Amino acid sequence: MKKIIAFVLLFAFGFSSCEKDDICDANTPTTPRLVISFYDINIPSVKKKVTRLKVIGEGQTEGIVFNKTAIDETKYLTSGDSISIPLKPDADTVTYSFILNSGSTDATFINTDAIKFNYTRQNAYVSRACGFKTIFKLNTQAPFERQLPDADGPWMQVIEVKNANIERENETHLKVYF
Amino acid sequence: MKHILKYIFSICLLFSVFLAQAQDTTVTKEIIQEKTKSETKKPAVKEILKDSIPKTDRYGLRVGVDLYKLTRGFYDKDYKGIEVVGDFRLTKKYYLAAELGFEDKTTDDTRLNSTATGTYIKAGFDYNMYENWLDMENLITIGLRGGFSTFSQDLNSYKIYNPNPYFGELPAITEGQKYSGLSAGWLEVTAGLKAKVFNNVFVGFGVQLKLLVMNSKPSGFDNLYIPGFNKTYDGSFGIGFNYTVSYFIPLYKKKVIIPEIKK
Repeated sequence: MKKIIAFVLLFAFGFSSCEKDDICDANTPTTPRLVISFYDINIPSVKKKVTRLKVIGEGQTEGIVFNKTAIDETKYLTSGDSISIPLKPDADTVTYSFILNSGSTDATFINTDAIKFNYTRQNAYVSRACGFKTIFKLNTQAPFERQLPDADGPWMQVIEVKNANIERENETHLKVYF
Repeated sequence: MKHILKYIFSICLLFSVFLAQAQDTTVTKEIIQEKTKSETKKPAVKEILKDSIPKTDRYGLRVGVDLYKLTRGFYDKDYKGIEVVGDFRLTKKYYLAAELGFEDKTTDDTRLNSTATGTYIKAGFDYNMYENWLDMENLITIGLRGGFSTFSQDLNSYKIYNPNPYFGELPAITEGQKYSGLSAGWLEVTAGLKAKVFNNVFVGFGVQLKLLVMNSKPSGFDNLYIPGFNKTYDGSFGIGFNYTVSYFIPLYKKKVIIPEIKK
């Protein structure tokens, strides 16, 4: 009888430790986004806030969510001085439309710039829980291309690559002056 | 880390049971032994009292196989393995012990699927804490081992972790990659018991706590499973257990004089 109890306990202890592995920690640096910072064209060292900027990827109907807590259309809008946009981990290019003053009642304020980013990809191991991540490198030749025609003219006057290696999100990769 | 603590806790609890069991059996055996002494050896009582109880310890080689690894292949399609265990009695309490094995294990995590294949050897000693009566040959052992494994890993498929799946979730990438020529070394503290069931056949159970001391990781990947060491965790600790059936080959005997305990 005692032996049976011992064996039951043994199995109970054995299985008590069987549990799915821990999940990927959100603070772990995984696939990074492209960080774009906006600067004033007149004073190039000063950051400038955009107004009601909406960013839509090519082939997508919804914009990138910048404000998770907001409801309806406003969650796609940002008025900050920098944005993070995801690149495609399964393609070497991605095209985005940057819509300034999106949803404005006066249609002449709305200005759309479409830009295609060209980059190379590399998959790197992170951990058992997170798997792999993709890191990117903007091409030295034509890292970005303005998509024409641009009927309303460009609002991004100068675009400059600050850091071509997109490995972390805590640094600016692209500077936009307007 | 939470996982490892859980295991340590479980193992501690497990041993608390064994300790209780061990004490119980000793008591019962004592009674039986006294009974037999008083019943069967009545005519020879004087002789025994004069000298002392003669006892022979058998020395030899015990070889066996880990049943858990062997049978797991039948019900777990992701596992094939075998482990041969052996020990040689050096002194009354100390045994030279070694394990030789082969494992082929596919680990299926949520984001990674990899297969580790390789062989390993573990060598060290066991110390028998169990005080046997007369011709009993049971063992409750603690021991130390050094382990070494050479193996290869196949990365079968993996997923890209993308916290911002704006363009949708990506399917797993199934481009296989093989990492060969890997090796790892570790230290083990083992605890186990072996009971003689009949003649020279023993069944045993053992648990091991392992500490990884050498681990040659492939560039751009990690050793998720090391044959002999088992699954790797964030730290360098590991655990394992085996369930063995072994056969004892007696080679020679030594006479032991046990002083008379009581009259």
